[in-house]
Parts: sequence; structure tokens; C-alpha cells
Amino acid sequence: METYHSIGTSTDWIIMGVYFIVIMLFGSYFGKYNRSTKDFFFGGRRFAWWLIAFSIVATGVGSHSFVKYSAKGFQHGLASSMTYINDWFFIPFFLFGWLPIIVYTQIRSIPEYFEKRFGTQARFLATVLLLFYMIGYIGIGFLTLGKAAMPMLPKSFMLFGHVIPITLMLVVIIIAVITGIYITFGGQTAVIFTDLLQGFVLLFAGFLLFFLGLDYIGGLGVFWHNLPVEFKMPLARFNQPPDFNFVGIFWQDAIAGSVGFMFMNMGLVMRFMATKSVDEGRKAATFNILFMLPLSAIVVGNAGWLGKAISAVHPGIISPHTSPDQIFVVVANVVSHPGVFGFIMAALTAALMSTVDTLINATSAIYINDIHRPVIDFIHKKHKVKENRRKTEKRELSAARISSVAVTILGVIAVLAFKNFPTVYEAHGYFHSTLTPPLVVAIFLGVFWKKVTPAVVITSFVVGVALMLLGANYPGVLIKPFAQGIKMQAHHPYVYIRAFYNLFVCSAVAVIVVYTTKYQITWANRIKKMPNRKNIIIGLYVLSTILFILVAFDLIHLVLSLISSVIMIIVIAIITTYYVDYDPIKQTEGLIIWSVHKAKESFKGGKINEAEGEKVTVNWKIKEGDDDLVNLSRNDLAKMKANPGDLVYLCDKRKWLGGLKSIHSRIGEPHDEDGVVYITDEHTKQGVFIKGKPLEAELEM
Amino acid sequence: METFQPLRDVWLSFFYLYGVGGIIFFIGIRIIRKTGALNLKLKRHRFWYRVMIFGYFYFVAIHAFFIILGLNT
Repeated sequence: METYHSIGTSTDWIIMGVYFIVIMLFGSYFGKYNRSTKDFFFGGRRFAWWLIAFSIVATGVGSHSFVKYSAKGFQHGLASSMTYINDWFFIPFFLFGWLPIIVYTQIRSIPEYFEKRFGTQARFLATVLLLFYMIGYIGIGFLTLGKAAMPMLPKSFMLFGHVIPITLMLVVIIIAVITGIYITFGGQTAVIFTDLLQGFVLLFAGFLLFFLGLDYIGGLGVFWHNLPVEFKMPLARFNQPPDFNFVGIFWQDAIAGSVGFMFMNMGLVMRFMATKSVDEGRKAATFNILFMLPLSAIVVGNAGWLGKAISAVHPGIISPHTSPDQIFVVVANVVSHPGVFGFIMAALTAALMSTVDTLINATSAIYINDIHRPVIDFIHKKHKVKENRRKTEKRELSAARISSVAVTILGVIAVLAFKNFPTVYEAHGYFHSTLTPPLVVAIFLGVFWKKVTPAVVITSFVVGVALMLLGANYPGVLIKPFAQGIKMQAHHPYVYIRAFYNLFVCSAVAVIVVYTTKYQITWANRIKKMPNRKNIIIGLYVLSTILFILVAFDLIHLVLSLISSVIMIIVIAIITTYYVDYDPIKQTEGLIIWSVHKAKESFKGGKINEAEGEKVTVNWKIKEGDDDLVNLSRNDLAKMKANPGDLVYLCDKRKWLGGLKSIHSRIGEPHDEDGVVYITDEHTKQGVFIKGKPLEAELEM
Repeated sequence: METFQPLRDVWLSFFYLYGVGGIIFFIGIRIIRKTGALNLKLKRHRFWYRVMIFGYFYFVAIHAFFIILGLNT
């Protein structure tokens, strides 16, 4: 396999440097819109759908990077696009299930959902699994960035007379330092606006490369003619080869990946939560999947397709044996001029950085909400410390910045787990197949099945993980029945289709526990009545811990491991039922799809007004007081079909701002001055409204 | 790797994708309707219902078009 070094000229490096400085200054400018952790993490829930839809492009494309899709495009053709065009199947669940639930219940993190739905124990386990997932994702991002940068760098450099080799890890560390800078000072609003700019640049750069490549080859007809029939197919072969087959990637990406991306990727979820309303979130998600993802598939994969076509005609220019992970950089260098190459590389690396910084921001949010705040609250409660709201906000904002740095360092360490896979694509596939199933199953069943109890979730987390590890130890026995004809590779067995096995075992454990709930309650109640109940529960706890270690670390025979897993299901379900107080009515209200309307009512704090009125243009005037109410005229309220007490969204009328200058509030008592809204001084600060610029008022609900 | 056969190698993937994926999609539609999360009495929700159904067939059409184009050129 051929690898490259020192590709590019000094002009390219200058252009890349300038691009990064502009992007960082652009991001830092929006730091002023962070007045609280709510703004830092969620951008204040104010943005228009189009702004979020375009800002998601950079995040989505970054995470499903140029490097890995160009690699598979080079090896297998147009089928590299299939993971971009298989996300629609879960859209009903997302648009009308998960999205309204997370917005209306105002959860700040996925573990918080677990606490509300299943209690603190489930929250703790979800936090652990989610942090693994997020940090792993950051690791994949850094690995891709490193691999993208390597071909442009020399093999080594001189420092004080010593030859320092440029290794992948050294490149990753330097990139991590640069990435950490503006996220630490910018926050979510900075990320959204930086991503918006990068989304446009990315699409432009990707299509520029495609057109330059077509021109280089001699046109679309020549390009198409030089691709073998197999390379023209938009879907991979059903079950071969083991490193790129349809059925494995279907279960890994279309099922586990799609649910993981829509339901538990906090980076993306937070982006949807930054839209001004649920309906705007729906528009952003739909537009993104229907139009932006197919376009992105061309943007990220075309370098590989062009590489294949060029290598067929001019093998001396691009060798058919080029390292797949380097093909993007090699093709970009061949088909573009100095300067243009620098611009394309800047767009690529900036997109990857967008993904990584979004994930760092999201992981930091999990840390603040699920570790920092509960711990500090506990300490304050213990020492009877009282802190005012402003001081708390300042402390948490500072902790958020420090945790961003810590998460960046952990992301760099995570690269070590993935760097030995042949390509980034396989590393990412393995990551998704392995880390997403337990959380995906728990969230999905939790939202869409009201019979799911804390015992179900905790047992499926623990026993599901044990069975997944068992599958990893015995792939030829346990995963093979799910493989649908895929041959097992010795080094990395069943990279993708293991997702099917992992989803199956986690779901199977959950279903077994759901249908045995009444027996668990009976046994837990019996134990509660026993005089030596404490010793019994401690005994069961020790037994389940020992069994988990024996199964997970493969210390006993496979048959014994399977029997131990069944015992674990019984024991853990009974322990959880014994310990966790669960109210199936209170803990499902507004938290499952069957009661979304309740979540909406509780969000508003009263009966919902579903009337569809019109938007009105108003000039703002300051009123006395600090209540969170805005006052509109009677006629304006009639036009909006709104009533006092309804929720209203006030936004600067200039559409191109995309809701940057806006607030949410509640309608107060009406007045008689048509075209005027009375707001407080705090409202003007929150919305960063400009004197003399009219606002648009819209009924939210 | 065995020689490329369209029916076995690409149409099978196509039918699996929209068969298994379709079952999940239409179960999703059924659940959101049954639970009332999607209320077809509301004009806005009727719009979203049409968008979701359109999206499924839109992706079927994209994949079918490229398979036929690839096999015939």
C-alpha cells in the first residue's frame, strides 16, 4: 500500500492558516450571546430551522468524514453513499416521539431523561455508557483529522539538532489543542454559527473538487465509463466482502447508527433543541435528511470515485494501491491548483473540527448536568451553603470550560483504541456496533413501550453488556447465526453485523424482564418481609457481581456463561425492583410517546392553545419591573389567535439573522397600542435587541 | 470475491433495505398515530404525515434510479 508525505505547497499552508484564524475569530464573536449555561450549551432555544439545518451539515459531514467515505468510494464506488441515504426509517419515532419529549420535558442531557423515567441508578449507568460513547466518538474524530493531515506533513522535522518523527499521535495532540481553543471560549452559539459558515464552505469545496475532478478526467461521460458496473451501484453487495457489505452496514448504521445519531448523540440533539420550536426542529431534521445528506454523500465520497476512475486510466498518476485513507488528499492535490488544494483541505479539516467541537461541547454538558451539578448540590446541602443564581451560573460556566479541556484530552487518549483498524471506516463501524446498542435499546424501549421499568433498563444495561462481551469473545459461535452469510475475519471479526447480535441480546434481556415483572415484584415483596432481608440482598448483589466478572472476562466455559447470564437477569431484576421505587404513572407522564400532550401541557404550565394564527410585526418599548411577561395589544393578540398566558416567541424581523436576536416569553395582560410590545430590560439583554429594529411576534403554544 | 450478479448482489440489498427498513418505518407511523402524538385533525400534522410518507418513497426512487442507471450504462 502506497502512503504519501509533504503533499501541498507553502501557498496551501498559508490559505489553511488564514482560514482557521477567520473561523476562530468568527466563533469567538458569538461568545457574547452566552449569558448562562443554557445559552452556552443550547444556544437559548431561539434559532430558525434553516440555520440549524445548514449548521448540522458540517457536524454530520464531519463525523461521517471525507476521509472514510472517500476511502470506501475508492475501494467500492458509489456504495460509499449508502450510509447517508438510510436514515429515514426512524424519522416518525424522532419527529413525533423523541423530539417533542426532549424539548417539552426540558431535559438538559440524556441521563437526565433516564433519571426522570427510571430513577437515579439508571441515570448513573446511562451517564457512564454515554460518556464512553461520546469520548469514543471524539476519539474517532481526532483519528480522522490526524489521518487527513498526515499526507500533507513531512515524515519528520528538525528541532535543536534532533530529528523528531511526525507520528499520528503527535498530529492528533496538536490538532486537539487547536480544536479546544474556541469551543472553550465560544459555547453552543459559537459552534452553531461556525458550523453554519463551515456547512456552506464544505458543500462548496466538495462540489468544487467534484467538478475539478470531472474536468481533469474529461467530463462526466468519461468518469462514468471508467467505473466498473459494481462501482456504479448505490448499495454494497449483500454479504461480501467482510470489510464492506450491505447487511452488516445496514444493522450497524441504518439501525444502531440512526437511532444512536438521532436519539443519543447529544451534539445533534442539542442542536435540535436550539431551534425556536418543535416544529422548527422537525423542519431542520427533515430538510437535513431529505436534501442535505444526499448532497453530502456526493461531497464526501466523490474523491474516492474520482480516484478510482483516474487510477483506471492513469495508474501512474494515482496508483490503484494508494492507501484508501489518503485517497481524498491525493485526489484533491492531483486535480486542483496550489491554493485551491489548501482551501479544500481547510474545508475538510474545519468540518472535522466542527464535529469534534460539537461533541466536546455536548460531553461537557453531560459532565455539568450529570456529575458536577449533582455533586456540588450534595456538598452544598451537606454544609448548608446557599449560593445565589448568578454565582452558580458563573461557577458552572467556568466548570463547563474546564471540562471541555478535560474531555479533549480524554478524546485524544481514545484514539489509541481505534488507530490499529485498517481504515477509519472500519474503526467507526466497530465503534458504533459495540457502544451504541445498550443505550439505543434502553432509550428506544423507554420512550415507546410504557411497560419498561427501571428493572428492565438496568438489567438490559448490565446483562446486555456482559452478553456483548461474551459475543466478542465467541464471535464464531454467538455472532455467526446473525451474520447472514458474512465470512468471519480473524483480526476484526464481524465488524458491522455484531451490531445485530448486540441489539438482539440487549432487546431480548429487556423483553424477558418486561414479561416477568409481576414475578419480580412478588419476589421483591417477599424478600422485604423477611427478617434477614439485608443479608439476602447483599448476597444477591455479590452473586450478580461475581457472575458479571466471570461472563464478561471469559473466565468460565461458554455454556456456563450463558447459564450465568440467565441467573443474572433474574437476580439483577429482583435487586432493582427491591431497591428502586417506581411509580408507573408519575414516571411515564410526559416521558413516553403515549403522553406527549402531557409534556406539552406541563411545558406551558396550562391548557394548550393549538390555534394557528398569523405573525405580527411590533416595535418594542421597555416597561418597568422584572416579570417574564410581554404585553401586546388586543388587536395583535386577535391576529395571532393568542391569549394572555400563552407562550410567545419574539424575534428580530430580519430573517437572515435566523433567530439569533430573539426571546421566548409568556403573554401578559393586553393594552391598546397596536404594533407595540412592552418588554423588560432583561428581555432586551437576552435577545440582544437593537433600538429601532422591529420584532416579529409569533404564538408558540 | 465472486463475480457480480445484479439480482443477488444489489437488488437483494435494495429489497432488504426497504423491506426491513419499511417495516420499522410503518410501525413508527402506526405508533405515532395510535398514541395521538400525530394528530391528523391538525393541519400542520397532516402536512408532516404527507412529508414522512413522501420521504420513504423518495429514497426508494433514488436508490432504484441509480441501480437501473448503473446496470444499463
